[in-house]
Amino acid sequence: MKDPCKGRVRIRSENDIVVARRTVRDAATQMAFGLTDVTRIVTAASELARNVFQYAGDGVMHWTAVDRNSSVGIELTFEDNGPGFSDIEQAMQRGYSTSNGLGLGLPGVKRLMDELEIVSQPGNGAKVTARKWVRK
Amino acid sequence: MTTPKISVLKVHDVLLVTVPPDPDDATMATLQAEVLQAMEKCRPKGLMLDISTVETLDSFFARTVTETSRMVSLMGGRTVIAGMRSSVAITATQLGLSLGCTMTALNVDRALDLLNHTPQRRQRP
Repeated sequence: MKDPCKGRVRIRSENDIVVARRTVRDAATQMAFGLTDVTRIVTAASELARNVFQYAGDGVMHWTAVDRNSSVGIELTFEDNGPGFSDIEQAMQRGYSTSNGLGLGLPGVKRLMDELEIVSQPGNGAKVTARKWVRK
Repeated sequence: MTTPKISVLKVHDVLLVTVPPDPDDATMATLQAEVLQAMEKCRPKGLMLDISTVETLDSFFARTVTETSRMVSLMGGRTVIAGMRSSVAITATQLGLSLGCTMTALNVDRALDLLNHTPQRRQRP
């Protein structure tokens, strides 16, 4: 049976970015996030999925319903085996981009979500984890 | 998944395009190409992009819209983005997106007023 509290989307085409957005929208809406927070989460997912596609060409998004200290939230992880981040601090600076994006990917995503963690070794892929908690 | 068809309507002297709710990259590229073709064929004074059903505005979307508006401007027309939802405006601002010098309106009615009352070539190309 399909577990309704988590899901997975493979990202290897532009169309998969749309699939990732729709999956996250359905999940966040089910979890009783308000409309503005759903929009924030979906937009963050879109940016992160695009990063995976643009830099690595192939990767996976996982979403999970999480709870911590009696708060519930959604956790999104994006994993790929691409070039990784050579300098995470630099990648978190506004305006920094090595591809033809607008360079507001990661810092923008951080403002939309409550938590953002990046684990990466240059040349060894990246794992980006983003969380947002339902406001009580 | 098939790419939704974009319809470019000519209403009086302007083009009206309704952006689908969750457009993929290919749809946005099609939209840009069809708009520019219609600009050449119909010679309107401007373009209204109705985004009232759009639920996610990410950096790719913003870039395509800004680019399209700049191209329309080079051809001598003006672009008005109409009907952005409040949740989308909040998200776009926090993400740090901007639509360049593209004009905006609350809805298509007001966008039409804006196009009819703004002098030609107000925008920087």
